[in-house]
Amino acid sequence: MDVTEQLQALKLKYKSVEVEKLIPVDFDLGNLVAYDTNSVDVEELRKNGDRYLHDIAREGTQLLLNQIFALPTESSPEGVYAKLPAGTTVVPRAKPIPKDKPLTRWEKFAKVKGIQKKKTSRKTYDESVQEYKPKWGYQGANNTADDWIKEVPDRADPMEDQYEKAREEKTARVTKNKTQERRNLQEAAATAAGQNPRDVRKAEVRKKILESKGATASMGRFDKQLKNEDAVKVKRTKRKFESATQDGAAEKEGVMNVVKKVLKGEDGKLINMTTAVKHVHQKGGMKVVDMDEGKKKKQKGRSKK
Amino acid sequence: MLRAVKPRTAAGKRAMRKREPQLVEGAKPAVFMKGTNTSQLVTAIFRDLYSLKRPDAVLMSKRNEVRPFEDPRSLEFFSQKNDAALFVLANHSKKRPHNLVFARMFDYQLLDMIEIGVERGTPMEMFKGAKPGVGHRPLILFSGDCWDSTDELRTFKSILLDMYRGTNSMDGVDLAGLEHVICMTAIDSTKVYLRTYTIQLKKSGTKLPRVELEEMGPSCEWVVRRHRAADADAWKAATKVPKELKTKTVKNIERNAMGDQVGRIHMEKQDFDKMQTRKMKGLKRGPNEDEDEEDAEDDIPAFAKKARINME
Repeated sequence: MDVTEQLQALKLKYKSVEVEKLIPVDFDLGNLVAYDTNSVDVEELRKNGDRYLHDIAREGTQLLLNQIFALPTESSPEGVYAKLPAGTTVVPRAKPIPKDKPLTRWEKFAKVKGIQKKKTSRKTYDESVQEYKPKWGYQGANNTADDWIKEVPDRADPMEDQYEKAREEKTARVTKNKTQERRNLQEAAATAAGQNPRDVRKAEVRKKILESKGATASMGRFDKQLKNEDAVKVKRTKRKFESATQDGAAEKEGVMNVVKKVLKGEDGKLINMTTAVKHVHQKGGMKVVDMDEGKKKKQKGRSKK
Repeated sequence: MLRAVKPRTAAGKRAMRKREPQLVEGAKPAVFMKGTNTSQLVTAIFRDLYSLKRPDAVLMSKRNEVRPFEDPRSLEFFSQKNDAALFVLANHSKKRPHNLVFARMFDYQLLDMIEIGVERGTPMEMFKGAKPGVGHRPLILFSGDCWDSTDELRTFKSILLDMYRGTNSMDGVDLAGLEHVICMTAIDSTKVYLRTYTIQLKKSGTKLPRVELEEMGPSCEWVVRRHRAADADAWKAATKVPKELKTKTVKNIERNAMGDQVGRIHMEKQDFDKMQTRKMKGLKRGPNEDEDEEDAEDDIPAFAKKARINME
């Protein structure tokens, strides 16, 4: 048998993998999609229905699979994997692009200095218990609070409680860390709002000083002065008193105004409902007041007689 | 709306972190929910669409009074609650029988949606034969020349693709796992045929396999009904490509037909004065050489200076 004959025989034996289309089919292999833009023959569809749709589908699938099988592959024990290219069809995201996290003070400093994070192991060998322990955290190696004995350092006060001291040091460290965390957050918020964190902090301190000055009866006149506190100027409105000898009509009007307000309520109502409701709630909810309660008691008393 | 809450437990923190926006997103999770009324036909098709979307889908068992074309807020609420980006809503009414609404969200806000009616349909259970396993990526085929002719079909195509495309993972796609194909054929601007098939790969005598298909269901005829296109600004925000994922164009480096890398290098102008030529005793600069050069400066260009010396 000739080679060409053999090929011919093979061709007859199997069905072809080739498909001819008038308009070439577009592929987006990243998404495993084929776009076949050849127009649908409506007449044919009406005549053959499902058979026609099946043919369209088979041809499209064949073309798509031909493309996929031509991609570079990688075989692993689980199977043969084809490396797909990135998808080309524009598909919207589900969520916006993540924003960069603002750098902390330390991160900024490390960036300037070129300090890089080093990968270190999470655990260390603890000689005393012959065991690997996490460096910190729960059952961490640096947790010395549970030690049953503690050495008193040289020249230390022998009466000093070393446990107490360790506890205090730890509390101080935690507090410092919390403060720094808060400061980082405040600075990040200020930067996000387009302000200089330093200016924001300055304004805040200024506001606090003003508040504290106004907190005493003397408006801070006799308070202990902070450093550079004079720089914060306090503007006060001067109190005005009415003259002791004014005419009677004006005084009467003033007093009558107060009386009217009290009797009428602020906005023409006798009771301020918002305040009243709040008041009731604070007292532990409404109580049903029986208006006839007194009368009933009286009647009871009478009937007993 | 749901409040933005601060997590108090470690598990809560992990859950919140999981919801944070990612640079490279996975398959979009979908919620399949029923409206106040549903017909047998639409429920069957709806369930099949759900089983094709699994495992990135949630099927809600109870009915909800959701009318996204009137008020999208309830969809937005469910989106936030379930961290879902896609919705399929089944409904049935006298005015719009066997109704399905496909909606897509961006950042828990409604982006676009399309309403279709199921005219005729056969659910998956009516077909005999093998069904694809859960989590296998389908091949998708859009055929017909109408898909880009109207906004409705463009939206529909985009949402369907978004729903069933899965994720393009780093290790690629398992060739043995390509088990089924979803075919959508649009014959005019309102009518779409859905057919789903399982794929059988046969010997072909070549390296490529011969594809044979067997219908597995669901199969149905869809008519396009109402539609809400995406807001231009929202669409722009949603299709923005992160800086990190943009491919950088490399200047001056190309590949020729043979696959070799060809580059073009830009050089500074060469200074012939500093060029080292052959060293000879006679060419050494003498003490009165400078004067000679000054005389001849006018007519001899700079690059020819060395040559002149050579000629001497």
